[in-house]
Amino acid sequence: MTPTHPYADASLPAQPEVLLVDDDEVNLLLTELALRERGFKITSASSGEQALQRLHDWVPDIVVLDALMPGLDGFDTCRTLRRLPGHENVPVLMLTGLDDDASITRAYQAGATDFFVKASQWGLLAGRLHYLLRASRTRIELERSKSKLARAQDLARMGSFDWWRADRGESGGLLMSPEALRVFGYGPQEPVTLRTLLRMVPQDDRRSFLRQLHEALRHASVVATDVPIVLLDGRQRIIHVEAEPEFNEHGHGAGYTGIVQDVTDRRIAEDKIRELANFDALTGLPNRRQLIWRAERALEQARRMGHQFALLLIDLDRFKIINDTLGHGAGDEALVEVGRRLRSCVRHSDQVMEGALETAGVRSHRSLEAVGRLGGDEFVALLPEVASEDDAERVAQRVLETLREPIFVGGQECFVTASVGVALFPRDGLSVVDLLRNSDVAMYSVKLQGKNSSAVYSPQLAGRGREKLELETALHKAIERDELVLHYQPKIDVRAARMVGAEALMRWQRGGKLVAPAEFIPLAEDTGLIVPLSEWVLREAARQARVWQQAFGFGESIAVNLPSRLFERSDLVEHIHQCVTAVGVPHRMIQLEITEDNLMKDLQNVIPSLHRLNEIGVEIAIDDFGTGYSSLAYLTTLPISELKIDRSFVRDLGVTPQSSAVVTAIIALARSLGLRVVAEGVETLRQMEVLHRLGCGLMQGFLFSRAVPPEDLARWLENTVLPRRAPWIGTAAAYEPGDEGTHAAGGRVYR
Amino acid sequence: MSTVPSAPGVPPVTLDATALARLRELDPDGRHGVVARVLEAFETSLGRLLGQLRAELNAGDPAVVAGIAHTLKSSSASVGALALSARCTEIERRLREKADGDLRADVQRLLAEGEAALSAVGSMLRP
Repeated sequence: MTPTHPYADASLPAQPEVLLVDDDEVNLLLTELALRERGFKITSASSGEQALQRLHDWVPDIVVLDALMPGLDGFDTCRTLRRLPGHENVPVLMLTGLDDDASITRAYQAGATDFFVKASQWGLLAGRLHYLLRASRTRIELERSKSKLARAQDLARMGSFDWWRADRGESGGLLMSPEALRVFGYGPQEPVTLRTLLRMVPQDDRRSFLRQLHEALRHASVVATDVPIVLLDGRQRIIHVEAEPEFNEHGHGAGYTGIVQDVTDRRIAEDKIRELANFDALTGLPNRRQLIWRAERALEQARRMGHQFALLLIDLDRFKIINDTLGHGAGDEALVEVGRRLRSCVRHSDQVMEGALETAGVRSHRSLEAVGRLGGDEFVALLPEVASEDDAERVAQRVLETLREPIFVGGQECFVTASVGVALFPRDGLSVVDLLRNSDVAMYSVKLQGKNSSAVYSPQLAGRGREKLELETALHKAIERDELVLHYQPKIDVRAARMVGAEALMRWQRGGKLVAPAEFIPLAEDTGLIVPLSEWVLREAARQARVWQQAFGFGESIAVNLPSRLFERSDLVEHIHQCVTAVGVPHRMIQLEITEDNLMKDLQNVIPSLHRLNEIGVEIAIDDFGTGYSSLAYLTTLPISELKIDRSFVRDLGVTPQSSAVVTAIIALARSLGLRVVAEGVETLRQMEVLHRLGCGLMQGFLFSRAVPPEDLARWLENTVLPRRAPWIGTAAAYEPGDEGTHAAGGRVYR
Repeated sequence: MSTVPSAPGVPPVTLDATALARLRELDPDGRHGVVARVLEAFETSLGRLLGQLRAELNAGDPAVVAGIAHTLKSSSASVGALALSARCTEIERRLREKADGDLRADVQRLLAEGEAALSAVGSMLRP
């Protein structure tokens, strides 16, 4: 006989160890011989006591027990054996007589795995043993995967349950896995009823949850929902319940089987994500996305119910000043405080989330009311229902009022005002986009009229506003589209008949037309675009200086007009440094012009920059000199190099005596301070002659050249100045120089 | 196959040939002396049990008698002492069912069958 049995299985031991217990020596011997013959390794015991002794330090693969034995019989032996550690799952086969039904029942009660009728058909016995060994192995694996599942469920804070309803006298009940009990904070053995669990759900939620359960029960439908609960220790959790109906033999819903899972952490994460997506991180107010979502809902409701709703666009005035002077941290603090105050102006509701509105009833649009932050210093108040524009105006006034109190930021009191534009649905627009745009138009009109006020949209405002909006948008793109160009107007030393420098002037080539600076510089100043524009001008001027230097030995400076706010920027010096070193020209080839008005407006803030610029060799000229209310005292202390006489005085030279008096005074002042004087707007030979006679030999104007593209300037030099062909050349040379001090130092005749 | 002198009241006993053949199957070439070992084990066990039975002639505990009958029932069948096995089966069942009967007479009958089987085994082992 082969040692391997046909039932053998790769996963089973090659020679299973059997403990054979029988009080009958004959039977014991026979069984032992028969099983050994069939590949089993046999250990014999002739009594229950002897068997238990063997089992103290040994676990066989299977135990075969005779049921009826004197002393400790098979049942008692089995019962005792089961209590021995490590023997809980050992398969036990009980041998009984053919006519012994009672023993079969008793065998199972004592913990036997199976029974077998004593006979001398050994093949059957061996087959049964193999079967039991395999079943035992399967069971061990099942236990193992069950405990793995339990562990996984535990990690996922998940557990399973069965619930069945009372039916014809049989009571209903709830059976929960230990993992499920743990989800609710109970130990594995604690008796828990459905009622106990439901009591953990806060009252308000309980009612709707019960309604949901009853509904599911009635239709025998699947339950999948999240329920908030309060654990016995007071902690709040959110439990996900998912259950499928079970049916009885009549096809009626008999109960549910499913899982519960603690999804609190996931919900917290989801809420956080939703909050990040819908709320402004700085102020905690609804962000643009959430505002627009709310506005869309409000619009739907207003349309359906035939009422008006209002959008208020609230833009803070001169907020940039706070950022620039106190720093962005202080700016952020101020925005938070403004947000807090604006909130109090409406019945602000934080609660609305996508999809939550439908269930909330007829007046639910009330919960849309909110203040949100569109971005930057721009806020929006959404009033989902107003009776008239007066309602909206009242809120606007409340907004202006609440900002009147000073705000403390960065240890300083500061005042923030706002311009508020109001648009009403349906009068001022039928879509959220239109309403936002028109509230913006109204807000702009407030800005133009001096800020710190409110205005309701009207169609008259629109034309101007739209044009401006388009211009602004286009200007944004002008730099990247290369639509900006610099034109250059030469500065002339009329006595020597040569160019001693050039002023760079910005032009915007917009759709084939040249836009004059007067049309877009104010807008650029308003919107802050002036900063990138000016930086571009500096870069471009430096580049051009280099080109001319190489083309015809240009060695003077190109003057660039800068607004005062650029002088306030701490990085101006660094920026100029980068511009000139990038192209390899000296710092002095860039000159800066600042208007007298601009200079006086921000004098204290500008002075440090002027000194530092002067130190690196960048000269400063005062533009439009004589038109502002200058303090002559500052001229003596400022590091400036040049005064430019405003064109209005030049125009009237020889026409009104006052104008030549002013020019004379400016020239005298400059001379005494050692400054150059340049006259602007020289258009006629007569003006040139007068200026020259008064002692000013440096000029700019149409008489010489208008501002032209750089290549035209080079051509002009070559064709007009060098051959000395212009009418002004002979004339000027005829005069004796009025004053050497008014001439630019040095300079060469360009070849 | 051998016969022994019959005990009083009981015809001479022969061990069943089929049962013995099945024992031999456990050890076809006789290398392990299986048949002899089994018969020896039976002889020892039977001798001991018959001693216990005799003690019950007077004491008469039906449970003890039933237990002895139970054990003898299967082992005697295994070695082919079929008459003894049949007697054991009958007596065990009657005792467990608590049927009316004469325990003393049963014990005497069992003893007689047992002695017969014992001498049959003895003459098998020591011909």
